[in-house]
Amino acid sequence: MRNQYKTYPLIITNIESQNALVKVFTLKPEDRKNIKCATDEKKIIKCWVPGQFISISIPGFGEAPFAICSSPNPCNEFQICVQKKGGLTSKFFSMSVGDEIDFRGPYGNGFPISKLSKRNLLLIAGGLGLAPLRPLIQIIANHAAEFGKVQLFGGSREEKMMLFKNEYGAWRKNIELNLTLDIPNENWNGSTGLVTALFDKIPISKNAIAIICGPPVMFPAVIKKIKKKGVAEKNIYLLLERRMHCGVGICQHCVLVNGKYVCKDGPVFNYAEIKDSPGAI
Amino acid sequence: MIPMTNSDLKLFVEFLLNKNYTIHSPVRKNGKIVIREITDSRKFSLIKERPLYSFKNFLLPDKKTLFSTTSDENKNGNDQKLIRKQVLFGITVFDLRAVSLLSQIFEKDPYFQDIISMTLFIGQSPIPEENSFYEKYEENILEHFKFDIFIESRGDQKDFRIFTGSKHGQKMLNEFGYDDFEHIEYAGAVPEEGLSDFHKKLKEKTKLSYGSKIWKDLGKKCLGCDKCAIVCPTCFCFKIYDENNIFNDSIARVRQWDSCFNSEFSEIAGGTKFLKTMEDRIYNWYSHKFVRIPDEYNLPGCVGCGRCADVCPAGINIKDEIFKIMKFKAKKPIAKMSKFKSKTLKKPRTKKLIYEKPI
Repeated sequence: MRNQYKTYPLIITNIESQNALVKVFTLKPEDRKNIKCATDEKKIIKCWVPGQFISISIPGFGEAPFAICSSPNPCNEFQICVQKKGGLTSKFFSMSVGDEIDFRGPYGNGFPISKLSKRNLLLIAGGLGLAPLRPLIQIIANHAAEFGKVQLFGGSREEKMMLFKNEYGAWRKNIELNLTLDIPNENWNGSTGLVTALFDKIPISKNAIAIICGPPVMFPAVIKKIKKKGVAEKNIYLLLERRMHCGVGICQHCVLVNGKYVCKDGPVFNYAEIKDSPGAI
Repeated sequence: MIPMTNSDLKLFVEFLLNKNYTIHSPVRKNGKIVIREITDSRKFSLIKERPLYSFKNFLLPDKKTLFSTTSDENKNGNDQKLIRKQVLFGITVFDLRAVSLLSQIFEKDPYFQDIISMTLFIGQSPIPEENSFYEKYEENILEHFKFDIFIESRGDQKDFRIFTGSKHGQKMLNEFGYDDFEHIEYAGAVPEEGLSDFHKKLKEKTKLSYGSKIWKDLGKKCLGCDKCAIVCPTCFCFKIYDENNIFNDSIARVRQWDSCFNSEFSEIAGGTKFLKTMEDRIYNWYSHKFVRIPDEYNLPGCVGCGRCADVCPAGINIKDEIFKIMKFKAKKPIAKMSKFKSKTLKKPRTKKLIYEKPI
């Protein structure tokens, strides 16, 4: 019987500091066969689906789920975006290139790529929520013809907290980037305020599919706003964050009131699936 | 059929001890029924009351090392050699029902399955003269339980009828020299008709009653001590964490029982909690048993043993709560509400805590 808790080694091949609290780690599995692979019918996805997560473990510090923040092509390595918050992530910050850690996964469903084909997209990110959207953005950047008009609405607290700043130029080729800061500095000439405020300034494309990713507090406000702007409920997708211990739908830490497991049935949910489940967002 | 006598059972215990089985069975100690290891067959007698603790921790230990840096065997989580052959002797129908459920939930879990494969289940029927038992014991319920041997005691008879539920059980009895048993073929954990009408109704009513006074009241009453989760034979939530042993410089990844009553159960990095209040948490506990498990496994999540009511320091009685849930009606006009209340109060409180109709 396969041991579902067994972890596999990964080597840290690159560390890129985004700001004082966030680093992007590039991780290479010692054996690529240890990645559970998924493939979609259009063959855009060969290995993992954007929106999926992996469980990272550092022996002695425990395990925690992290969204994969890099595109699955190439799929012999992946990146995760780590914010220094607790014991495990602090340990992570003390590690260097060449160090070994462990992983299992990827887990979860990921974004519904086949449903996004040829559609207008609204990608809405708050803070670190941009990380799980990045692989999708990279796929869009490389396969622009497969999608309709793509708009990204991103909010950060301060300019120094913005993620992936050096990639915005490449993204702008195929994606309309709308960024806002809660607390702007002198040099900032973009929008200010919460991400919801952006929707009052910038028209959103018709019949779009919205994908929202961010801190729990952001969801109700954004959903209310975009519904007002004409986005149909069935076209709203959310990526939920929960505490996860097993990753396979048993331990009950991530379960929603309606019985869906964020680890197994999510983390990406259609709004209709969870709107009647109290406390889901 | 020649039934087994009490002295036959003693001999059978002796036989199992000689086969190097560790036997766990209910014994009476200081007036309480507890599960202890049986080492002397002469002192053995079958206790027919249910012990306060279930057999859960013999199958799903409260703390289990998944991996460890100390031994090579344990590195891959394969510590089969460390598991001893055990007998759960005198496991009641309640706990057998819980084992069926846990076997479904942990179907793909090698740690649980390794233990199950080394365990001999010797079940026993409840005492028939206690009229409030929810499980009016009938032979046909046995086909849905995984057991090796089953000891049936009828109230008026001293001797026991013996059933077998597995080849292993048959082999054991044959070797022991007893062949007057009847074999019952396992028909799967879930009966053909699925959930009983009672549990179907309970599921709908539990969903419907979310946010109602039932849960507000329970939220105020419950202390969140999680004693109920510890004695419950079906509570299985767990956490996984790493444990550092400074004395031998080793690290172990352990899986330990957790309880959804702990306020940090649903906490994520940054401190947001999704089960914020006691009301959220106790609803989560009940809805897991009455809604989510039935939806996921087609089996009730509560076996009706009543242990949780025995230990609750706040006096919450699951049987009374089920009664309230079953009576719940959404959006009832206020005038009629008072009638509904007085009815609830009239309900006689029975000592036993069993709620389900006979199957």
